Amino acid sequence: MGEVIVITSGKGGVGKTTTTANLGTGLALYGNKKVVLVDADIGLRNLDVVMGLENRIVYDLVDVANGMCRLKQALIKDKRFENLYLMPAAQTKDKTAVTPEQMKKLCEDLKQEFDYVLVDSPAGIEQGFKNAVAGADKAIIVTTPEVSAVRDADRIVGLLEASGFEEPKLVINRLRPDMVRRGDMMDIDDMIDILAIELLGVVPEDEKIVISTNRGEPAVADESSKAGKAYRNMVSRLLGQDVPLMTMENVEPSFFDKLRMFFGLKART
Amino acid sequence: MGNKPVIIKGTKDGITIILEENSNFEDVEKIIYEKLQSGRNFFAGGKVYLKSKKGFVSEEEYKKLQEILTNFGMSLQEADSPKTLIFPKPNRSRVLLLKRTVRSGQKISYRGTVVILGDANPGSEIVATGDILVMGALRGMAHAGAEGDVSAIVAAFRLKPTQLRIAEIISRPPEDKEDLPQFPEIARLKDNIIVIEPYNTLK
Repeated sequence: MGEVIVITSGKGGVGKTTTTANLGTGLALYGNKKVVLVDADIGLRNLDVVMGLENRIVYDLVDVANGMCRLKQALIKDKRFENLYLMPAAQTKDKTAVTPEQMKKLCEDLKQEFDYVLVDSPAGIEQGFKNAVAGADKAIIVTTPEVSAVRDADRIVGLLEASGFEEPKLVINRLRPDMVRRGDMMDIDDMIDILAIELLGVVPEDEKIVISTNRGEPAVADESSKAGKAYRNMVSRLLGQDVPLMTMENVEPSFFDKLRMFFGLKART
Repeated sequence: MGNKPVIIKGTKDGITIILEENSNFEDVEKIIYEKLQSGRNFFAGGKVYLKSKKGFVSEEEYKKLQEILTNFGMSLQEADSPKTLIFPKPNRSRVLLLKRTVRSGQKISYRGTVVILGDANPGSEIVATGDILVMGALRGMAHAGAEGDVSAIVAAFRLKPTQLRIAEIISRPPEDKEDLPQFPEIARLKDNIIVIEPYNTLK
């Protein structure tokens, strides 16, 4: 019997889908868990694109909810990663196409087969959000270090706490340590001060995310990606290990370091 | 020969003191004192419920009664039946104690004083007819004296509201957001302007 985790945020564009894709892939790849990713963003589906699986969609979540097909028919097995599956959303419908009760049943059914059911929630607090949280046991809230994102995240925490979710976890995404140092960006402590929930991890701003999204290859599998490393650490924490937060200083290498790197006497970071 | 100014009834919970309509408070005091004196130890530890047919009991009278009763080892309870105790300043007597942080989008609206053991995050609203005390950081909107009480105050361990309102006056924090004080402060109305002063507990 697995657990259903909803990944939500309130604010749009902060990295819910990216986080869902990377955590799910990481759990399957490094944690050897059986994972299904559920895209609850009906009408504006993205999880399939980020995972590179859009060409293989035949049936979707709405079809399953309406009984047009069996659960197994809609699940897409990712051929690159063992034990990783995707339940795509519908693109030609909208969020009124399923009810919270249907989502709850779907999650219950998926729980029987999988260790982790990760539900990618749409932005907002209305029907789409309500559908996404209906079947969930736990919640992960994603935010960026911006006042507006934190404000929305706080609203979501309030709504989740009122629905009985205990101890939601926080992911801070797209942190830029150089801006934090200059005082131009909120730092981690400021955000925890307001949100007051447990921190799951911090993901630095990383160009490789853009590339990985376009290619449909989650960054968590990429050894050279800093964001990927952050996601790998988060996977470890989800599995119970105590991993310290990455230091994210991007110190410009000194001249001699650069010289050594040029001659191959020092590894490039 | 009128009715007795005060009736004392025994109930299974304790005793109820009922103040009659035309009672003179001095008489009331005397009678209660005598009655309690005669059954001194019998009443000790008991609960007392106060009802007033006069419609109201002034704060002073209430305090005097409370004193007498405490001397006899009894505690005065707040009555909650139709003929309830009415204070001259009803909007201060009731207190709402919230032992949590108020999050964005949550609105607390109360007829009385609001005390929050936690923070009030930006995007939250606290509206009270009485005072507002935040034992934490007030980062949202607070409106004290919401029905026009100009003596209402807003106090917080860290006063950093998005907006402050007392009675009819609305005010916002200074534009310069640097170096906000990290000690407790109180906001009150002085000459129709909201003034913020440090709250120094170490006198």
